[in-house]
Amino acid sequence: MKTLLSAFIIFLSLSASAQVSKVTLQASGLTCSMCNNAISKALKTLPFAQSISSDIGNASFDISVKPGSKVSFDDIKKKVEGAGFSVASMKAVVHFDDQKIVNDGHINAGGMTFHFLNVKDQLLNGDKTIQILDKGFVSAKAFAKNAVYTKMECYKTGVAGSCCAKEGLVTGTRIYHVTI
Amino acid sequence: MKFLFSIFCCFNITALKAQELFVYSEPASNMATKSIGIRANNYLMRETATGNYSHSFAPEIMLGASKKLMLHGEAFFGYDISRFNFDGASFYAKYRFYSADEVHSHFRMAAYGKIASSDNPVTQPAIDLAGRNSGAEAGIVATKLMYKIAVSAGGSFVHAWDNSGNNKFVLGRGSRNAFNYNLSFGKLFLPKIYKTYRQVNLNGMLEGLGQTNAGTGRSFIDLAPSIQLIFFSRMRLDMGYRFPVLNSLSREQDRGFLLRLEYNFFNAYK
Repeated sequence: MKTLLSAFIIFLSLSASAQVSKVTLQASGLTCSMCNNAISKALKTLPFAQSISSDIGNASFDISVKPGSKVSFDDIKKKVEGAGFSVASMKAVVHFDDQKIVNDGHINAGGMTFHFLNVKDQLLNGDKTIQILDKGFVSAKAFAKNAVYTKMECYKTGVAGSCCAKEGLVTGTRIYHVTI
Repeated sequence: MKFLFSIFCCFNITALKAQELFVYSEPASNMATKSIGIRANNYLMRETATGNYSHSFAPEIMLGASKKLMLHGEAFFGYDISRFNFDGASFYAKYRFYSADEVHSHFRMAAYGKIASSDNPVTQPAIDLAGRNSGAEAGIVATKLMYKIAVSAGGSFVHAWDNSGNNKFVLGRGSRNAFNYNLSFGKLFLPKIYKTYRQVNLNGMLEGLGQTNAGTGRSFIDLAPSIQLIFFSRMRLDMGYRFPVLNSLSREQDRGFLLRLEYNFFNAYK
């Protein structure tokens, strides 16, 4: 039974290109429920968004992702900024299949490159919630503070540079800096 | 990190939103990209000479051109004897050039410009780009939002041209220039806790609105209390009254009521 289940899960993970199932974000700079509504309406236009739910008082939004679609965290951020506000924090539920992560190292998952910061080396399996730490995905203060977790320049630029060449990443590849 | 994030989240549950959608002035914030707002502005103002109230109507359209740029177009109609006459139109653009957002607060700054036309005779020394003068205005506004309170301050330079239809600016060359300024406070009263987009929002505002003529040095400063209701998180009803507290720059109408209905269409175009 367990083997069957495992096989099924592996099959699912192979067949579905989207390994991100849900994104939760908190927006900043809001003034009222009308502003909140503006963000909600903007998020609804994302092609990979199946539904949006919002906690108005907390300015947080849950985006459930259409199965099989590819998620772009940058596009979500653009929608929030387009509505006139900023992202205070963004977390995503990502499916991992026995992927080893090391602190201050890169991996590929869900068609994206992640750079893990402030984590213990470990094996990730199943749905895990990651928080995106890139510029514009946290407050400016938090972004400056988190800089202690890496010396690599990709943290500042968000794309692969000479720092990532030894890991075989093509220069210019988008890298999301994340933590668990 | 996780612990820090939890503290951060807990802190923000207590942080409510505040209001800066001022009735008599524009905040530094813009409307959402690709959204369109329409407004019906009604003014019931008292004629200083006769004490009678006269009605003017100004339909307005607003466009969120980008996350930093918004545009307004407005037309002015005055009610004369038995019908509305077209008095003029204005075009306004606002560019937000500074933004520091936190979950429970923000500080923003924007620059704006306005050009207006009027085909009325120039009859008062106060320069009014809402149907009485043709002219141009350029200014800066800064808005601070903290919890349920918003404070906004703005200052601008305004210059009057001759009005169209051979209606010259007859009040002397030096008095074509003036400074406009405002200081506005807004507070969210209801709801106490946000639950749905259908909740009615109630805001109260108090604004100080002034003009000083650069040529004559004469000024007016008005106080303008107002209340605002927001329905379905997309429709706004503004009700305000303005009256002078300093009044050495004379106007044909120096006090009266504003009633505005606004409706917003989000993602109005591709």
